[in-house]
Amino acid sequence: MAAVEAPGELLRVTIDDRQVEVAPGSLVWDACEKAGVYVPVYCAHKKLEPVAVCRMCLVEIEGMPKLQPACATRVSQGMQIRTATDQVRDFRRGNLEFLLLNHPLDCPVCDRGGECDLQDFTQRYGPGRTRSAITDKVHFDKAVRLSDRILLDQERCILCWRCVRYYEEVTGEREIVLQERGVHTLVDTFEHRELQSEFQGNLPEICPVGALTHAQYRFRARPWDLRRTASVCPKCSYGCNIFIDAREEQIARFASNDNPDVDDSWLCDRGRYSFPELNRTERVLNPEARLGGGRQPVAHSEALARAAGALLRVRGDHGAGAVGFLCSPQVTNEEGFLLQWLARQVVGSPHLDHRLEPLPELSPEQFRLGIAELEERDAVVVLGDAPERSAPVLTLRLFKTETKRRRRVLRVPLGTPAASLLEPLQGCRSVGVVAHQEQRSEAVALSRSLAGAGLSSSVLTLVEGMNARGCQDLGVSPAVLPGYQPAAEPGMHGRAILEAAAAGSIKALVLLSPDPEWERDPAFEAALSEVEALIVVTPWLGLASRQATVLFPGRTVAEKAGTVTSTEGRVQRVRTALQPRFPFPPDLRVLGELGGALGTPLGVQPLAGPVFSLIAEAVPPYRGTQGGLRADWGAPA
Amino acid sequence: MADSGPGAAEAPPLGRETLARIRRSKQLYPWASSAILPSLWAVQEELGYLTPAALLAVAEELGLEPSEVEAVATFYSMYFRHRAGEHLIQVCRNVSCGLRGADELLRHLERALGVEDGGTTEDGAFTLEGTVECLGACGGAPMMQVDRISYENLDAAAADAVLEQVRSGAPRGRRSRARA
Ligand code: SF4
Ligand code: SF4
Ligand code: FES
Ligand code: FES
Repeated sequence: MAAVEAPGELLRVTIDDRQVEVAPGSLVWDACEKAGVYVPVYCAHKKLEPVAVCRMCLVEIEGMPKLQPACATRVSQGMQIRTATDQVRDFRRGNLEFLLLNHPLDCPVCDRGGECDLQDFTQRYGPGRTRSAITDKVHFDKAVRLSDRILLDQERCILCWRCVRYYEEVTGEREIVLQERGVHTLVDTFEHRELQSEFQGNLPEICPVGALTHAQYRFRARPWDLRRTASVCPKCSYGCNIFIDAREEQIARFASNDNPDVDDSWLCDRGRYSFPELNRTERVLNPEARLGGGRQPVAHSEALARAAGALLRVRGDHGAGAVGFLCSPQVTNEEGFLLQWLARQVVGSPHLDHRLEPLPELSPEQFRLGIAELEERDAVVVLGDAPERSAPVLTLRLFKTETKRRRRVLRVPLGTPAASLLEPLQGCRSVGVVAHQEQRSEAVALSRSLAGAGLSSSVLTLVEGMNARGCQDLGVSPAVLPGYQPAAEPGMHGRAILEAAAAGSIKALVLLSPDPEWERDPAFEAALSEVEALIVVTPWLGLASRQATVLFPGRTVAEKAGTVTSTEGRVQRVRTALQPRFPFPPDLRVLGELGGALGTPLGVQPLAGPVFSLIAEAVPPYRGTQGGLRADWGAPA
Repeated sequence: MADSGPGAAEAPPLGRETLARIRRSKQLYPWASSAILPSLWAVQEELGYLTPAALLAVAEELGLEPSEVEAVATFYSMYFRHRAGEHLIQVCRNVSCGLRGADELLRHLERALGVEDGGTTEDGAFTLEGTVECLGACGGAPMMQVDRISYENLDAAAADAVLEQVRSGAPRGRRSRARA
């Protein structure tokens, strides 16, 4: 939250001999941060309104008789702030002594040990020893199960209120409150009810101490054992920024990595707690090829040669149109782009897709509106509940738009005519339409009607799958080429490819990171058992890996580097957080080398950087975006 | 606060008159949460204490989350979350009374009634509350209230006499300033 935006001249303030200029409405805390002067806080949080209950941040301000909370005091012109005086030092020491009075001091068995503000501030500002006997402490319950995801240690709580305010201000669910009072105050739910929220995983992150902890992370690691890698949540297309914290090549947790334009530092539980699937050790570990009767491990080069040989044979016998290419939307932009290169340029087949169901009428018009821009619209119209089911964190952005930004958020059923929205939109000049991809055409039509009624209107479409947007932008689909250029000769969509394979007109299939869900689809099974040549790059054991004629060990999204594009068109980096358990080349190199083995060299190194340059050449909106910018597809037609 | 009393689960938790009072207090304030206090009073007057079912009903009437209502109910010590005795004894233990013998008074009452601080006598006649803050009668410390009527300058004998008087249903001493 921080500063209230108010135009006006900057305020000049002095903090411990440093001078800074800050906008009117800034908090003393903001000014200190700007001056590079650290002020310890507990109750204050960048995303929450100030309450000033913990008193940890008190500083001296000239002309004020008592110490003032930096987290809640607004600066004024010429303010003189001092944070390093004896008075402030004594006060901090005293405050910490109070906080520690009944604290159990069980740091050695506390999950937060090593990244706890109570430990850190006590180290830095606190008293070195206690004046009361450890036997005099007031005790509360430990390891209270608030849900299967969250545990609460009531005696570690320092009553900062952050969790309560998180529920009030960020989700609106108010599941947690402070009960009782004085020394008996504790955090709890109504009648110890289990937490129901989809956003519980944010609680341990906003708790400054080890009171609220993840059940999943309990006793798993110490922060100094963890290797932290910035990446993107793989669970949907919303593109929440995360840290992958890994210990000994296993992911110990996903943590949020605040991107104010996307996640605003919140993750949904579906995304946050999804990583165990990436830790699975039953994996494809070797290149393999079908030789004679069975399939055997082979060298990478031999697997390449065999894959190329099989594809050339099919193309020679049946034509390029007998080869189909399928990937899941979990591939990176670079991989997707090379897959479409392999299909169209190298093999010469138009049959290519990143999903099974057809997706006609793709256009950038479905994607004009950005996530953060929702807050700037006078009103937001959400079509049905599919968008929020698809990307749960969207719900928090809508709540913020409605409560903190005071915009109108209208959740309307599918098929709502524009005319019936004009009254609830009375007085609005701009509107955003949010829809799931299944309703993309309805959303565009609605938006056009609203524009026809004089509103400035654009659409945010939620696509399905981490990098579905990138696959669409880069032409990993049968009817559009990279950059939404219509294909002269559209190919078959995913399911049609499978059906053609089962029917015998597709003779070879190339599968890149196939979606494990497809294995439950009878069409998938039928296709795989019919094709002559099945080239598979996958991390996972299953139908595809079993049936493959040539199999390459693939990497999970935590094991590769590249970019993915979120549903709003933001091009973000995924980075190698884990070393794969095999020494073979990454998927991207397999694709590049396969092209070479088929007689069309890629021309650049099959690495994420050089391939991204190819993308930027082919799709100009992607130029310069790979650091996390939204690709600019131009103004509405 | 597990004690919801017999039948509390099935029976509609609140009577018509109580519900009407809750609805009236909701009209009085710009925010529904301001109506929590008067609503809880209405409930306590009907049931004698606040059951979980009643808290839920209040939350429903006021359009609030039950957690908010429970937070208020647990913050104030004058709301009961357990069935209380017929008569409520509150012994002030703040500074003035503390200095003038509140601890001894409480210990005497515990002995005389055969219950501990916070307990209710077996016959259901008395609930003893000994963790009460200043009741505004420091001049007469040590003091206690029985059913919100103040008795001041108490020693063991005077306290016994008050209990006897209450038991016998005889007319009581001066009313305190606290409103019923
Ligand atoms: S549980 Fe954590 S966040 Fe909540 S009040 Fe206690 S210390 Fe603060
Ligand atoms: S909304 Fe999507 S991207 Fe964000 S945390 Fe949830 S699953 Fe991950
Ligand atoms: S951080 Fe300022 S009072 Fe808590
Ligand atoms: S201290 Fe007991 S009445 Fe004030």
